Parts: sequence; structure tokens; C-alpha cells
Amino acid sequence: MTNILDDYALMSPLRHRNNWLKLAVVFFGLLIGVSSTSAITPLFIALSMSFATVALGKAPLKLYLKLLLAPVGFAATGVIIIAFFSGSGPELLSFKLIGYPFSIRADGLELALLVLSRSLSGMCCLYFLSLTTPMIELFAVLKASRLPESVIELSMLIYRYIFVFLDMALSIRYAQTVRLGYSNLRRSIHSMSMLGSTLFIRSWEQGDKLFLAMNSRCYDGKMTLFEVHRPVRATELFLTFAYFLSTLILFYFTKNISIV
Amino acid sequence: MIILETRDLKYTYPDGTSAIQDLNIEIKKGKKVAFVGQNGSGKSTLFLLLNGTLKPEEGEVLFHGAPFKYDSKSLREIRKSVGIVFQNSDDQIFAPTVYQDVAFGPANLGYSKERVDACVQHALEHVGLSRLKDKPPHHLSGGQKKRVAIAGVMAMEPEVIILDEPLSNLDPMGADEIMDLLHEFNHFGSTIIISTHDVDLAYRWSDYVFLMSNSKLIGQGTPAEIFREQELLKKAGLRQPTTLEIYHEIERRGLAYGRNSPKTIPELVNTLKPLDLMWVDVPPKVKEGDSLNLGVMYGEYATQSPYEAINASVLHIHPNGRAIVELKRKGIKAGGVLLYDTDNYSLEEIRQILKEGEMVFVGAMGKKSKNLVEQDGIHLDVTSGVIDKSILMALCGKRCLILTAGGMVDHALKRIREYVEKSGIEFTVGVVNREEGCKWLEEADESPEMLKL
Repeated sequence: MTNILDDYALMSPLRHRNNWLKLAVVFFGLLIGVSSTSAITPLFIALSMSFATVALGKAPLKLYLKLLLAPVGFAATGVIIIAFFSGSGPELLSFKLIGYPFSIRADGLELALLVLSRSLSGMCCLYFLSLTTPMIELFAVLKASRLPESVIELSMLIYRYIFVFLDMALSIRYAQTVRLGYSNLRRSIHSMSMLGSTLFIRSWEQGDKLFLAMNSRCYDGKMTLFEVHRPVRATELFLTFAYFLSTLILFYFTKNISIV
Repeated sequence: MIILETRDLKYTYPDGTSAIQDLNIEIKKGKKVAFVGQNGSGKSTLFLLLNGTLKPEEGEVLFHGAPFKYDSKSLREIRKSVGIVFQNSDDQIFAPTVYQDVAFGPANLGYSKERVDACVQHALEHVGLSRLKDKPPHHLSGGQKKRVAIAGVMAMEPEVIILDEPLSNLDPMGADEIMDLLHEFNHFGSTIIISTHDVDLAYRWSDYVFLMSNSKLIGQGTPAEIFREQELLKKAGLRQPTTLEIYHEIERRGLAYGRNSPKTIPELVNTLKPLDLMWVDVPPKVKEGDSLNLGVMYGEYATQSPYEAINASVLHIHPNGRAIVELKRKGIKAGGVLLYDTDNYSLEEIRQILKEGEMVFVGAMGKKSKNLVEQDGIHLDVTSGVIDKSILMALCGKRCLILTAGGMVDHALKRIREYVEKSGIEFTVGVVNREEGCKWLEEADESPEMLKL
């Protein structure tokens, strides 16, 4: 059953590595990527993060590319507009469309490439996190970041019941579909509203049952979170630092380099 | 000793429907108790009353002779001692991972972190889910979820475990594993209470049955007593257990005698004893009513085990010197059932036993043993209904090995010995890798040829 990102993260071998190390790598990547002034460093970060996600984290390559396609599509449209409508400097390309002149200038292209590479690196970093670190590992991180206990407890319960209700919603939808509940627009709207109201009532009931279940196991208003201890190995630490260092060096030497 | 007791218990739902009326029950410690009744007969409500979740309108519930008090401290004590497993596992499992869910109970009891960890590991190992402890519940199958729910209750080490419809939505294999688990808990002294509308299960499994109908108790007794009462069952909207029904039909046709109540297939088979008649040539001086020793038979003449000592009593002598005799058989070299305790597991030892003991039938009981054995590539002939099938194989003169662990070893040993005692058919039973050893392996050198006529 692999339907959502969390499922892939649960199966990833990187799941069993230290969460803080992964978070450090991701935040480092985000920071450097965004603050870089040349397109080269963010591209390097995007490549290395993709490598880590697909080769080390064993995320299926096809899925990964598909995932990237959506945000890259958005970024690309924005980038095209930037390329055409901003910047000065020598004209690289110009043409006329229905009487209007369009042109790409060097500065504009440079800026467009920078924006594209920055957003790509950011996305790769976040995908690395979401494809290697399932939600259940992040509860410990939430706890360590001093969030109120009740927020963490609630998030744990919500996480669990998302899947219960997802199952419920899917089976209700299926039951509606086989009885032609979605055969035209009017019926679809009607069925959808019934699904919503049923889910609301069911979740209310489920709340009662949950209280019962917790009470019968001596619930005293506190849910203890048991962290799995995952020490960072020396090789992991060394490799991370090597990666940080090489990125920083690249960052320093490419700060004034323009590709165009 | 009575562990749980109710006196004149009455409970009505807020909307006015009555759920329990005038209920007086006594549950003895260490028993396997089944509440049987149709859906909506009040079983689930009763369980919530027994666990202190609901407060009775009238009457009282007593634990170890002391009435329940409903302040939070006493309730805590009761809920620690009386664990309840709900019908729908999704209602019960609420933590994001298996480990966290099982740890919930012990953590609430205020145990230290180490003790909680020990409790959880122990419970998970028992139900055979140690490998899945970091999984989220939505990645588990129905049977696995049920086992997590049981482990969550077990981790609190309750004296009484109540299970509401433990086998609903489980496949036969999963159901069998849960029942094996329950047998084992019971063996270690837990009192187990289940509710079910599966009469076969209640008949086979329980020591004591409460029959419920329309929020009232309409009968109680041992399963053999209760399920014989056709009228009572009809009143409860239930039918007779299949084995009992078959037996009654057989009895009606004169193929079995003695008003037995066979619970398992081996017991049922054992009741099938038609007159065993045979034509034999007899010496001239033999009279009707004499007893003859026909010696040892084997091959097609031995029907119950490979070698049988047969005595015959002469019923009628024909003028030509032939006589009709009734045969009384006693198995000599029947098969047997060996148990292997996988707590002291050694692959080599098992391989040796399989080879030297000429085992033809291997079964495993309990998830833990199954996992262990399957990892090492030992072929299992049977993984569900193991005890019954092994007895049936042993009756046909085959040798069986059952791999299991902990309390299930003793449970299996007890069940098979009981069968041998009841049926009078001898076959070897023993545990291989325990101190008492096993007679059978030593006997294996002895050639069966010696027993020929």
C-alpha cells in the first residue's frame, strides 16, 4: 500500500538515520540555495539532494521525477515571464508576435536561471526530507523543539486517524459509486455532501470510542512519546561535513560567476 | 476462586433501551469463559460494565469479592487488572506506531522507561510482532492489528482479559493464531473472557459458557451441558455446534453410542465405533461367548494403527467351523506426536529429529515459532488447527512434530494426553528438548518387524 509520500518515507532505508542530521542537511541546503548569487551552487545542491533521495533513500526514480514535474512546471512559467520582461544588457533573442516585440536580455536570462535553480534546490531539499523522514519520526523532533505537549499529542492522534478516516471515506465513496452516486453533476454534489456529513458524524463517534479506548488503558491525560534513539555514526558525520565544506567552497568561488 | 462477579446488575442506555437486566454471574479465576448470544444481546455493554467504563444503574460488580468503586483511583486499579480488547482494532489503536501504542498502557501505570520497554518487548514478542514495532498501524493487516490490540492490553499484565468478538473479520489462519495466543495466556494463569456468536468457537474453546438473549442471562454451564439443550439454543437464536450436530446424527443412525459431546474432529472420529465383526476359522472346541487371542495384526487388518493386538469374542459359530467374532483392537505401534520447545531452538537438532525420528508431518503453533522455522526453510505441513491435525495423523500411524514455544507446549501436551486418556488409543506424546526427554526416540532403533505374527 503505497499511496502517499509518507508511505515511501516509511520504506526508505534513510528512515532509520538520525533525524537531526537529516534536518541539518536539509536546512543547510535551503539556506545556501536561497542565498546563492549564482545558479551553479543551487544546481549542485539540487543534484546532490536528488542523488541522496533516489540512490541512498531508494525513492523510485519515476515517482521522484513525476513529483518534481509539478513544482518545476510552476517555476518554469514564472521563469519565462522573468526572462522576457526584466533585465537589461545585450539582447540575446528577439522576435515579434502579432506586432508586439519580445526579447530576452542577458541580465533577464541570468535572473531567470537563478530563480529556477534556487526553487529547484529548495524543492529537492524538501523532497529529500519528505521522502526519507516519515511523520512518525518527526514527532520526536516536534517534542524536542519544545512545542506544547497537547499539540504533539493531538498531532499524533490526528496522524493516526487521518488514515482511519481516509479508509472510511474511500469505502463510502466506493459504496456510493457502485450505486451510481456520481453519475452526473447533480448527484455527485449530493453524494459528496452526504459523504462529508457522514464522515463528520463518524469522526464524532470515533472520538467517543477513542476516549473509551484510552480510558480503559488508564489514560491520565498524558501520552508519553517514546523516542527511538538513533546515534549518528562517525562516517555519517564525516560525509556530512565533507558535503557542507564542498558546497561552501563552491558557494564562495561561484559567487560572481555568471553562466550567460 | 471467584474473580469477577455481578449482583442484580441492571443497565439502561440513555435513550431508554435496556441493555442488561438482573444479571447475576460469577466468573472463576483461570477459566476460559465465553458469553454467547446474538448481536445486540447485551454482551458488549456487559463488558464495559465489567471494566468499570459504564456505571450500573442498579446492582454491583465485584472484583475479588470487593464491589467496584467509581472514583478515579479505584477505576485505575480495576482497569489495570481487567483489560479489554475491542471488537474493532481501529477503535483501539490510536498511536502512530505499533511500539507507541503498546507502550501507552504501561506508561500510564507510571513504570520507568526501562520497565515500559521490557513490557512492550515481551508483549510484542509474544504476539510475534517484534519486527513490525516501528510500523504505523495503517500498514498492518487485520490480524496484525488485532494482535497489536491484544499486545497493548497484555503489556499491562492484567489478571482478566476481556475480548469482544476476538475473531470478527479475521481469516481462518489469523483466527487460529489468536486462539492459540489466548490458550497460552490462559495457561499462564490469566482469566479470559470472550464474547462471540460463533457457537463452534464457544463450544470448542471455553470452559464455561454464559448464554445471553435480549439483555438477559438465559443459561450457563459447561459447553457440553449448554449446547446439548436444543430448546435453550433456539431461545437464544443460535444453532448447535457443527461437531455436536454431526455426532447426534451419527448417534441417531446407531453408528456411535454413549451420549458423548465431541468437541474436536479427533474426538468426533473416535466416537465412530461400529461393531467390528469378522469371519474367522476357529478350533473345534471353541464355544460361543469365548474369548480368542488373535495375536498381532498389521497391514490391511490393522485399521487404527500400524500394529494392533487383537482380542476377539465369539458371537456365533457356523456349522462349517467358521465363526463370527467381534474384534477388540489395541494399537501397539501407533504414531505419535512430539513437541519441540522453540525457546531452546537449534536448527541442527530439529533436522536431526526430523531425519532420525522419521517425522512425516510437521506443524508449528504460535507466530513466533512459525517465523523462526520459516526463516530456516523448514517445510511446515500445517500451521492452523495443528493439534487436531497432528492427533488425526498420529491415529493413522504417522509421526508428527509440533514446533511451539512457552505455554503453548504445555497446552498442547495437556490436550493430546487428555485425548489419549479419553479415547484409550495409545500413541506417544512427549516434549523432545525438555529434561524428561522422550521415550520414543530411543525406541526408534527397535525394529517394527519384530512384532510380526
